[in-house]
Amino acid sequence: MNHVTSETFDENAKAALADSQLRGALRNATSLFGKRRLAAAQGLTNWEDLRTQARAIKDDVLLHLDQYLENFVSQAEARGAKFHWARDGAEANAIICRLAAERNARSIVKSKSMTTEETHLNVALEAAGIQVIETDLGEYIIQLAEETPSHIIVPAIHKTKRQIAELFTQELGIPPTDDVAKLTSTARATLRDRFAAADIGISGVNFGVAETGTIVILENEGNIRLTTSLPRFHIAVMGIEKVVPRFADLDIFLKLLPRSGTGQRLTTYQSFITGTKQNAFDDGPEELHVVMLDNGRSRMLAHPVTRQSLACIRCGACLNACPVYQQIGGHAYGSVYPGPIGAVITPQLMGLEKTQQLPYASSLCGACREVCPVKIDIPRLLLHLRGEITEKSSPEVQQAKGRTMERFAFKMWRLMMLRPWAYNLSARVGRLFQGLVVKDGKIGRVKSFVGPLAAWTSGRDLRPLDQKSFRDKWASDQGKS
Amino acid sequence: MEERSNRNSREAIFESIRGALAASKVLDAKESELHHAAEAAAYLQPGIKHDVASLVELFKENLEAVDGHCIIVETRSDVVQALYEIINKLQGTYLKAKRIAVSDSSEIERLVNLVDVDVDTFAVAPTASEVFNFDVGITYAQAGIAETGTLVLDSSRERNRLVSLVPPVHIAILNASSIVQTLGEALATLRQAEEVSPIITLVTGPSRTADIELTLAIGVHGPQELYVIVNKNLEE
Ligand code: SF4
Repeated sequence: MNHVTSETFDENAKAALADSQLRGALRNATSLFGKRRLAAAQGLTNWEDLRTQARAIKDDVLLHLDQYLENFVSQAEARGAKFHWARDGAEANAIICRLAAERNARSIVKSKSMTTEETHLNVALEAAGIQVIETDLGEYIIQLAEETPSHIIVPAIHKTKRQIAELFTQELGIPPTDDVAKLTSTARATLRDRFAAADIGISGVNFGVAETGTIVILENEGNIRLTTSLPRFHIAVMGIEKVVPRFADLDIFLKLLPRSGTGQRLTTYQSFITGTKQNAFDDGPEELHVVMLDNGRSRMLAHPVTRQSLACIRCGACLNACPVYQQIGGHAYGSVYPGPIGAVITPQLMGLEKTQQLPYASSLCGACREVCPVKIDIPRLLLHLRGEITEKSSPEVQQAKGRTMERFAFKMWRLMMLRPWAYNLSARVGRLFQGLVVKDGKIGRVKSFVGPLAAWTSGRDLRPLDQKSFRDKWASDQGKS
Repeated sequence: MEERSNRNSREAIFESIRGALAASKVLDAKESELHHAAEAAAYLQPGIKHDVASLVELFKENLEAVDGHCIIVETRSDVVQALYEIINKLQGTYLKAKRIAVSDSSEIERLVNLVDVDVDTFAVAPTASEVFNFDVGITYAQAGIAETGTLVLDSSRERNRLVSLVPPVHIAILNASSIVQTLGEALATLRQAEEVSPIITLVTGPSRTADIELTLAIGVHGPQELYVIVNKNLEE
C-alpha cells in the first residue's frame, strides 16, 4: 500500500508532476472525457434546464432530508429490504462484518463503490478473515497491485497496459501480452469463478427513490448486475444524501450522470432494485441489506454553502475539467475523493486538521463549476473552507506553516486598500527594492530568506511593478491636456 | 442488543440531520442562490413524436451505434428464421452456441424449438449455479427505448435476470409496438405498475469497459454479443 495522505499534498503534487508517464495518461483521459462530455451535453437542447432542475431537486431533498429518508426507508422495508444505520465508517464496517459472520460468508464479491472506499471496508473484511474481490476491471487491477483508485470513473488510469500485463503475468500466470482484449478476457475468466463462489455481493448505490424505495445503480461492465444477482445476499452501502423524491426524477439524473461522466447517453446497464424477490424460486438474492452511512454528511447540512457538497452525483466531470487534477492526478490528494470535489469533501469528512492543504489545491478558475451537472459552486466552497482554516479552526491548524502569514498579509492588504497614502507608500518601497529580485523582466524563484515571496515564487513567476504607477501616469497625463 | 444499538444510531443520525437543518435556517434565509423544487418533476416528453415505423428505425440506429446487432422482421416465422441465422453463424465461431438457455416464457421456448440447429444442452431459466454453463441466453425484452437503443428487462414478467446476463451471447426478442421514444416514457410506464417490479434492468448494447488505457473492450462481465430481433408482427 502507498502511504500518501492529504497531509502531504504539496509533496505528493511535486512527485506527481515529475512523473511524465502519469501526466501523459492524465492528459489523454481528461481531454478525451472533457470532449465527450461537451458533445453529449450539446446533444441535448435543454442541458441547462436539466442542470437547474437537478439542482432544485437536490436542494429540496437536502432541506427535507429527514422526511425523504423516512419515506425511502419505509417503502423499501415494505418490500423486504432491511436497513442498518452507520454514524461513521467504522460502524458501517462492523455492521457488514457482522452480517457476513452471521451468514458464515467466506467469500465476497464487490462492485465499485466510493462509499465503501471511504470506509475502507476491504481492510476491515480482510481483518475479519473474509476474502473480498473487487470486480470492476479497473478496481480489480488496483486491488491486485495493492494500490488505490486515481480517478472516480477510471480507477486505474495511472497504469499503462504494459504494467497491467506484467501484473497479470505475475499474479494470474498468463503469458506476457499487450493486447487489451486478452487482458480483459483474462480478468473476465478469473472473476467468473469468484462470482460463482461468492456468498455475498456488496454494491454501492447511485440513487434511492423515496416514493418507491427503489435503489438505482449504473455501470458499463455488468459486474454490478452479477454482484447483485448471483450471491444469496446483497448488501448495498448508501450515503444518506443519495435520495431523490420521485421515480420521475430519475429521468433527469439518468440524462445528466452518464453524459457528464463518460459522454454516454446512457451507461450500458441501469439496475433498478426494489426490495427483495417476490417468489423463492425467482432469480436473485434472498436478502437485501442497505447500510445507510452518515460519516460527517449530516454535519454538512448546517450551512447552505457546505450543504451543496451533498448534491454531488459523483460523475467525475469536475476532475476532468480541473487544471490542477489534469497535472497531478488523483493520488496526490491522498484521499478517496480526488479533484475539485475531493478538495471540498475530504476536509469536511475528515476534518481540517489533516487536510488543510486541499482547499488551496485550486486556482479558483471555475472550470469545475461550469461542468458540474448539479451546479455545485465549488470555488465558493473552497473559499469558505479556506476561511474556516484561517479564522475558525483549532489553534494547531491556524498556526500551521503559512496560515499566520496569510492572515497577516490579508490584514495588511485591507489596511492599505482603505488608506491611499499607505498603498502609495508600499508601492514606492516595493519599486525601490524589487531590483534585488527582478531578472529578465520577471521575478523568478527567489531565495528562501525572502520569506513569503520565496514561497509564492517557488511555483510561479511574478511580474515586477512598473516603474511608473498608474496613478502617476494619470496625474501627468491630466497635467498635459 | 445489536438491534437496540442500531436503533440508537438511526436516531442519532436523524437528530444530527434535524439539528443541522435547524441551525442553517437563518443562513438559508439570506441565501439568494438557493434553488427550490417548485413541483413534482414531469417526465420529459419528446420534442417530435415519431410513428412506430420510424421508432423502429431509430431504435436500430442507436443500438448499432453502441455495438449491438438489430434485426427487424415482420412475422413470427421470420423470428424463427432470424434465430436460426444468428445461432448458425455463431456456431462457426469460438462462441460455439451449442448450449442454449431461455427465459421461462413459454412462447420463447416454443419459438426456439422451431429453430433447426444442433444443440448440446437446452435449459429453461437455469439457476445461479447452472447458468455459467451456457453459451447463449434468449429472452424477451418488455420494452425498448428508441432514442438510446435501450432494452427494458422487467424480471417480474419472465425469469430473464440471469439468462440475459451470464451467457456470452444475449438474444432478445422485442415487439415493435412496445418501443417507446424516450427514457421518460419508459420510466413512466414502469412507474404505472401497481407495484414497481423488484428488478428492472435497462440494457444499452453489449457489456463494455475502457479501464485499460481507455481502450474500448467489449464483453468484460456481461454479454459480449447482443442481438435484438424486433418483430413488427405484420401478420396479425
Ligand atoms: S461535484 Fe459536480 S462535477 Fe464534480 S463529481 Fe460531483 S456532480 Fe460531478
